[in-house]
Amino acid sequence: MTDETMKKLLEIDNLVAGIGDTRILNGLSLTVGSGEVHAIMGPNGSGKSTLAQIIAGHDAYTVTSGTVTFCGRNLLDLAPEERAREGIFLGFQYPVEIPGVNNAYLLKAALNARLKHEGKKEIDAFEFMKLAREKMSLLDMDPGFLNRGVNEGFSGGEKKRNEILQMAMLEPRLAILDETDSGLDIDALKAVAKGVNSLRHPDRSIVLVTHYQRLLDYIEPDHVHVLSKGRIVRSGDKSLATELEEKGYDWIREAASA
Amino acid sequence: MTAEILDQVSLRSVVTGIPQDALSGLRRHALDSFAKHGFPSTREEDWHYTSLGIAAEISNDWLQGSAGEDVPEHAASAPTDTGIDADWIVVTDGGIDRQALSLLNERLSDGVSILPLSALSSLPDLYIDDSIASFNAALLRDGILVRVAPGVSIERPIGFAILDQAHSSPAVSQVRIVIETGQGAAASFVYVDRSGGGPKRFSTSVVELLLGPDSAIDFLRLQERAESHVHTSQFRASLDAGAVLQHGAIDVGGRLVRNDVHVKLAGPRARASLCGAYFADGQQHVDNHLFADHLVGPAESRQDYRGIAAGRARCIFNGKAVVRPHAGGTDAVQSNHNLLLSENAEIDTKPELEIYADDVKCAHGATVGQLDEKSVFYLRSRGLGRDEAILLLTRAFAANVLGTLPIPAARQYVDRLVERKLDSMIGGSGA
Repeated sequence: MTDETMKKLLEIDNLVAGIGDTRILNGLSLTVGSGEVHAIMGPNGSGKSTLAQIIAGHDAYTVTSGTVTFCGRNLLDLAPEERAREGIFLGFQYPVEIPGVNNAYLLKAALNARLKHEGKKEIDAFEFMKLAREKMSLLDMDPGFLNRGVNEGFSGGEKKRNEILQMAMLEPRLAILDETDSGLDIDALKAVAKGVNSLRHPDRSIVLVTHYQRLLDYIEPDHVHVLSKGRIVRSGDKSLATELEEKGYDWIREAASA
Repeated sequence: MTAEILDQVSLRSVVTGIPQDALSGLRRHALDSFAKHGFPSTREEDWHYTSLGIAAEISNDWLQGSAGEDVPEHAASAPTDTGIDADWIVVTDGGIDRQALSLLNERLSDGVSILPLSALSSLPDLYIDDSIASFNAALLRDGILVRVAPGVSIERPIGFAILDQAHSSPAVSQVRIVIETGQGAAASFVYVDRSGGGPKRFSTSVVELLLGPDSAIDFLRLQERAESHVHTSQFRASLDAGAVLQHGAIDVGGRLVRNDVHVKLAGPRARASLCGAYFADGQQHVDNHLFADHLVGPAESRQDYRGIAAGRARCIFNGKAVVRPHAGGTDAVQSNHNLLLSENAEIDTKPELEIYADDVKCAHGATVGQLDEKSVFYLRSRGLGRDEAILLLTRAFAANVLGTLPIPAARQYVDRLVERKLDSMIGGSGA
């Protein structure tokens, strides 16, 4: 990779997309460089989660025009599992409960899918357990979670921690965390933030999708973008988040329609 | 002439042609009983979804001896590959190896006897009152009677390996097993049902259980017949006071399969648990009819079946519980959940309750659904391929009932059997 493509890990250019006939993204452009932490903020319905789902490859959304490039490759050509194996991770706003599928089994299968894709040796049971315990202690998670069904009966906070655990295990190149802060009490928020911060790395980019500035008190972003009506209407540094917190989203809406 | 009509004249001549033995009287009675019924027609409510036309066709060809074509030997394999630790009794094409049976008999503890029906001086009362059971008895080569004396417990499961290896096609074969437990006795059975050989085979199986007071039976039936074969099975149990029955069933094979499980709760405090799972793809048709008949109370019955259908498969579940007037204190629960893996598969489910007593606790629930696309996407977003995600979710769906099956010694084999089937359903053209 050249320095230039390294810098631009993810490049979204003029993306227009929606569900059925409903347009949600209206020419969205965004560039995320390697090692950067971006926060995407915006009111409900501005298209934040749609953007996250499209990057992960959800087939409910149709892209009408525009491009999404990841490490110089056309991301839109890849199936969701291929994107994951290439190093894209989506932390879900509402992680799915999958009773009967063991948490450890999924973690191991996910990790091995990635390793296999990279031509590396699959992890053995012993190494896996060692790694999982290490990451769990980082997130203050009870190792008992490994033997439970995926998110089965987990509280909201436990589900979000579990997402971060998966992220920690998979060590993605690009992590998109969709409203990871929603529904968390302050202790859970701190634990999740601690986990995310521990994963900050020059080779890993993180996109935080959030409605509130609160999360950004604990995870400090390099860039903040404001999304409104499917487009980025303002970009800035972390001070933009503080400004939003003080003024609310109305002034953005006014600015966008002006 | 509708398709279900069996050639009774040929049947009578074949039955009367069987050399005289201890079962001759039974066959004649059964023949008379069958003459009244014939094969069930789809006009009968219980057979609404399942036509035995193809079974009648195979039987007619076989009875008339017209199409006795040799087929390359393709044997159903012996049960040793199951790894299930059991004392096996092998039934080949409806025939019983009497010598092997007597050797096993010597080995088993006092209080347990396993005898061929043909060796008995007087037969137990065998059920021949419906179409399938009378057809079965009329053409029976031999059967097996298992008696467990009062207070005797058998630790190791007794295995029935039903191996239909017809080297000619068409072929027709029957299995009949009677199990009686004395007061306080306990035994467990695993029934492995396999077939190889020619494309046209119709087989019937009738297993009758008489559970004495406070006795316990675990029974697990694993049906893995060749996917061109037609099979009907009946499992009929009568439970005396305090008796406990745990019945489990897995169906993965067969072209057309009909299973009837009929449990009579005849004594107070009896408990019957009927669990099962059926897996069908391609053109498979699998019909499970369950019936819990609560004659007295308090007593408890549980029906918990799960089904998975792919390809163009069709599955039917009919679970019925009847609570008779003297069965106050009955506790009956029925549950049937189904998963459709393809748009062309079909599942018809019908839980039924008839209650004629007061003070009963009855519940039923049935669902037919598809895999949750949100879960599929979640797993794919973690790097699992689509098929792998579907397999994982389907396995989890089935695991719910597999975990409740009796006979722990068979658990590993059941997992393998199901895994193999799911692989072919999901990996192949099935889904």
